Amino acid sequence: MEWRGKPSSSINANLTPMIDVTFLLIVFFVVVSQIVDRDAVSMDLPSPENAAASVAEMQERVVVNIVPSDGGAVQRVVVGRHEISIDSLDELTAIVKTRLQGGASEVYLRADRATRYMVIHKAIEAIRKVGTTPRLQLVIDGDNE
Amino acid sequence: MIIKRRKKSSMGLNLTSMIDVVFLLLIYFMVATEFKIAEESFPMDLPAPKNGQSHMLDNEPLVIHVDSSGEGPHDLRIQLEGPWGKIENTRALTKFLRMSKIDEFHVTGYFLQTHPVLVTPTENARWEHALAVYNAAALAQYTNITLAEPVTKLDVLQ
Repeated sequence: MEWRGKPSSSINANLTPMIDVTFLLIVFFVVVSQIVDRDAVSMDLPSPENAAASVAEMQERVVVNIVPSDGGAVQRVVVGRHEISIDSLDELTAIVKTRLQGGASEVYLRADRATRYMVIHKAIEAIRKVGTTPRLQLVIDGDNE
Repeated sequence: MIIKRRKKSSMGLNLTSMIDVVFLLLIYFMVATEFKIAEESFPMDLPAPKNGQSHMLDNEPLVIHVDSSGEGPHDLRIQLEGPWGKIENTRALTKFLRMSKIDEFHVTGYFLQTHPVLVTPTENARWEHALAVYNAAALAQYTNITLAEPVTKLDVLQ
């Protein structure tokens, strides 16, 4: 009688498909992080009826976010990674100037619908002081149809 | 005697390769697609600062004051500087501006398309109301619209 012993079972995880999928996940998240607009701070943008505005273009731009506080006041101004107090807008002028010299062509102004115009005008004046007559884009919510 | 056991046939689906291909397709389409941003914008040319003066305009501009009377999108008051009568809302403003524009349809209009339109919200006007008036002028196809220095409520609107 020939007896065959049980073959020694080796439990090895197959690493190849795991590495495959892991790399795909990495690529996926890298692509997603490129798409997400990191310049935009979440806020309730104005949405006028029948807006005659045009879709914002994906080009080199400076995005100035006027972060709202309660009662139409402003917490701070955010430009990229810079956070500026509303009382020191000279800093905003300097940052916008640097970004425009670095290749950005337009300045996008994002402000909450409830923000008082008085504060927004201060920011517009600070941008105007850059001196190179940049074109300002006043951002509104595009999902208003 | 050789005892051979029949191997159990496994009809399993290999998920790994399927996930592999699905992710590849997903990434391909994400890279290839141009995402539509859910934001729009009004372009506004900023005049360069001149000797500390705020806005120096060549023509006598059409000045539109706006104030907020509440928190709703339609809770705003509009007043035109000059002998132009009362404007109730942004639709009426667009209509007035369209009728006042000189073009092939309205040769008896008052303003050219390039006539400066100055939107002057009050200090406490909400941003959405300032932009609603700006939009009314843009809808009437005026091309030289500017947001000006705010006015105090008492000075202009009673």
